[in-house]
Amino acid sequence: MRERAPRIVAFGGGGFSMEAGNRLLDDYVLALTGKARPRVCFLPTASGDADHYVVRFYQHFGSCAEASHLSLFRRERGCRLEPRAHLLEQDLIYVGGGSVISMLGVWRAHGIDATLREAWAAGVVLCGLSAGSLCWFSEGMSAFHGEPAAVAGLGLLPWSNAVHYGGEASRRADYHAALAAGMCTGYAASDGAALHFEGTELAHVVGSRPDARAFRIGAAGDGVVETELAVRFLGEPVLTFVAA
Amino acid sequence: MPGPTIFAMGGGGFLTEPADAALERYVLDLAAPAEPRICFLPTASGDPQGAIVRFHAAFDPLPCRPSALDLFRLHGRHLDLRAHLLEQHIVYVGGGSMRNLLAIWHEHALDRILPEAWERGVALCGLSAGSMCWFRHGITKSGGPPELVPGLGLLPASNSVHWSAEPDRRAAYVAAVAGGLEPGWGVDDGAGLRFAGTKLVEAVSARRESGAYRVEHRDGSAAAEPIPVRQLGAPNSGVHVPPPEVVELRELRAARRGR
Repeated sequence: MRERAPRIVAFGGGGFSMEAGNRLLDDYVLALTGKARPRVCFLPTASGDADHYVVRFYQHFGSCAEASHLSLFRRERGCRLEPRAHLLEQDLIYVGGGSVISMLGVWRAHGIDATLREAWAAGVVLCGLSAGSLCWFSEGMSAFHGEPAAVAGLGLLPWSNAVHYGGEASRRADYHAALAAGMCTGYAASDGAALHFEGTELAHVVGSRPDARAFRIGAAGDGVVETELAVRFLGEPVLTFVAA
Repeated sequence: MPGPTIFAMGGGGFLTEPADAALERYVLDLAAPAEPRICFLPTASGDPQGAIVRFHAAFDPLPCRPSALDLFRLHGRHLDLRAHLLEQHIVYVGGGSMRNLLAIWHEHALDRILPEAWERGVALCGLSAGSMCWFRHGITKSGGPPELVPGLGLLPASNSVHWSAEPDRRAAYVAAVAGGLEPGWGVDDGAGLRFAGTKLVEAVSARRESGAYRVEHRDGSAAAEPIPVRQLGAPNSGVHVPPPEVVELRELRAARRGR
């Protein structure tokens, strides 16, 4: 096993399930594995293992990776994989979006929370979007239930997190209110922005769209300080030809 | 409001077998109103849209006000789960992974809301995982091989489902009772147990071949004895003769399956 810092890439939104035809974030996490044909396991738990989501994963990753998925709802049918052994032999674990609360409950019921921590420490790259981003942090802002609420994640990253940031003004206001009320300092990412952590420290911020944005946000005094982070666009520079 | 009511089915119902329609009518009769509010909880299978569609296909034509509560897709619904469940007359829990069902309910506090609803007279029913969850213990295959897991414990007994259809689950249940697990019932697909409070009132079946079994510890092993089952569709009669068109449909299906 190579010696290197554990890695997590947390998407504010994006990847195959949100950006049809835009492979930039998914190609970024595949490249991090350093493998020509990495082993990639999809965890669709937050969607309730929705069939359509699993199918789209295979459509996208089947040609460029040794793709598999782990269903925790239909284990009695078909899938005979032993979850821990299977997850530990992956190069990349990709967590889909949906309900973060339901996902974490199911993970705990199957011991997946402990296995993901183990995989992370062993060098398996962890990534995901939305619920699949919030889960890695100590705390996150879930808007899944209508009313935004703070949720506790797995705590691999000692920060808070907000996703789909910038789309709705209320998300920003809710996150700021939570920080002012004592939530730990953290990071917010818009759709198309990804936060790449080496160990527990933010190392890179990349984007699949030129307008992707990310922020570091924390309480300071009576208020909240929001610092915008530079996002490196992963696409080719766009050349514009103007007819004269 | 009627007293606390649970109807626990071994399997079948609208999710698998149209011929079990008698179970749907029995479920609606658990509630006093002519058009009861019935809420479907497909949590144990991850809230697949297909199950919700089948629920509506089965219940929309019947005299009731059906809705489905999809805990994986509450986005923007601003729903007060407790208020919504307490205003139902019937809560119908689908099958799937019992382990996941209880874990997700715990995260959303339904492990506290549903017992409260039961005490207030909301009839709780369900099949497979949605049956065993009401008991102290059930035999789940959530992790692959059958294993004993605790339920919500509203009924002070154990329960296993798909009794005749799944020999491995049946064997694990019998072994658990032989090993000291509290006694309970094994129930076939298409059959169900009705409880008033914690007392078994009757066992019913929508299929002639389906039964229910009392499983008890006896002299170092476990004994399974069939209990009386009332056939639905032929009240107070032990023999249920399906109408000719149902017989014809079943024969047609069997022929298509090559039997």
